[in-house]
Amino acid sequence: MAYMSMGEAHRRITEYLNSFSDAVSSQDGASFKSLFALSSNAPSLLSLADALNIFQDANRLIKQSDNYSQFADILVPLFRSLQNYRQNNLLEAYNAFEKTANAFIQEFRNWESAWALEALYVIVYDVRVLAEKADKELASNGKSPEKLKGAGSVLMKVFGTLAGKGSKRVGALYLGTVNLCRSVIRSIETARIFDFEEFPKRDKVTYMYYTGRLEVFNENFSAADYKLSYALKYCNPQSSANIRMILKHLIPVKLSIGILPKSSLLEKYNLLEYSNIVQALRRGDLRLLRRALQDHEDRFLRSGVYLVLEKLELQVYQRLVKKIYIIQKQKDPNRAHQVKLEVIVKALKWLEIDMDVDEVECIMAILIFKNLMKGYFAHKSKVVVLSKQDPFPKLNGKPQLIEDVIPIWQSSYNLGPVSSRS
Amino acid sequence: MATEPKPAKDDVKVDLFEDDDEFEEFEISQEWDDKKEGKEVTQQWEDDWDDDDVSDDFSLQLKRELESNTVKN
Repeated sequence: MAYMSMGEAHRRITEYLNSFSDAVSSQDGASFKSLFALSSNAPSLLSLADALNIFQDANRLIKQSDNYSQFADILVPLFRSLQNYRQNNLLEAYNAFEKTANAFIQEFRNWESAWALEALYVIVYDVRVLAEKADKELASNGKSPEKLKGAGSVLMKVFGTLAGKGSKRVGALYLGTVNLCRSVIRSIETARIFDFEEFPKRDKVTYMYYTGRLEVFNENFSAADYKLSYALKYCNPQSSANIRMILKHLIPVKLSIGILPKSSLLEKYNLLEYSNIVQALRRGDLRLLRRALQDHEDRFLRSGVYLVLEKLELQVYQRLVKKIYIIQKQKDPNRAHQVKLEVIVKALKWLEIDMDVDEVECIMAILIFKNLMKGYFAHKSKVVVLSKQDPFPKLNGKPQLIEDVIPIWQSSYNLGPVSSRS
Repeated sequence: MATEPKPAKDDVKVDLFEDDDEFEEFEISQEWDDKKEGKEVTQQWEDDWDDDDVSDDFSLQLKRELESNTVKN
């Protein structure tokens, strides 16, 4: 710590208090916010912290003038937080800062306009960052890290304040960094009170990334595609680590709706664990798919996409049957739409997958049910008869049917005479 | 013998780190232009890849396999 005289310390503290009351009386949001940016390590705040550690009786200064004393609930804990932050007592720094935040929210409610919004934003940011640091300290002392949870309830309080009030509603936009918080997400997405596009870009991207992952988890692939693609499009092109994280989750989503990443993309962002999966889809190579899932099992499990990738199996079956169909067509175009189940069994055996005719019939039934294949069975002769029109509908970006039952009347395909009905 | 398991453990740890890296927080003041490169990364997809081409190695092998002996009727 640089040497500082008592007089100099006194001067710095008074200077800060004056800037504080000046900013409030002139409603100068920009200078106001810089007075709270604790975790930014701004030199002016660091030297204030030094001053506070030398001049131990700052609270007396706060109480000296009405200009400051009316904000004592904010200032006293803020000073304590700064002192502790400077001395690396992060738990204390957080506890005091939480008091400041609560007092600030109280004051903010009383102000008629939302002029101090940016300051509130800085406070919200610091609450979270300090909570994370405090939790690290707690954990390293073997105690349970619980401060981030506390920070969460501060944020909820802020959100409630902002969402409730007319002109201050825009402020709610700033809170998009709250991760995976259902009720907030719901109010952000259902409320018509603000336009999502008003968020700062960094928050929109972060928000779309996390909520997009939540959609993957819930298997809402259209929504997941929309959100993660949004995050990808607007992400800072410089932060390739984040682009990689987005792609890690977007690629499985895209695959499941029938869209493949180009290999240049996988190479550029070092996501080569996906290249064999893409290859398997292109070929209809079930063995390769299973092998790729096995090889990178722990990685896929950890990022939570394993189950999504596992479901690609049906698309690979579709591709395989399609290849068989095309090969048959080259030989005998008239009979190509009849595929013997034995042939499929044989192809699978070649891929080292042991399945009997009944099992294959079952898989074909699922393909038909999911509208990945159009056709019907000639059960007795063990043949699947494919529709002459578009027997293998492409997904083209649409998610495949998951739960919905296909209404019976939709199964009126344009087929030849039905020979299978007995 | 007793020292052998150690390196394996280290490997696991390294791998964990690699995949646990979280979405990095954007700095509070960070601004950027997404017009140029952002576009590029969104154009790296193929949605019409499912063609009728069966001239690749895999398909040729499949074909040979299916023709290798006649399927029982």
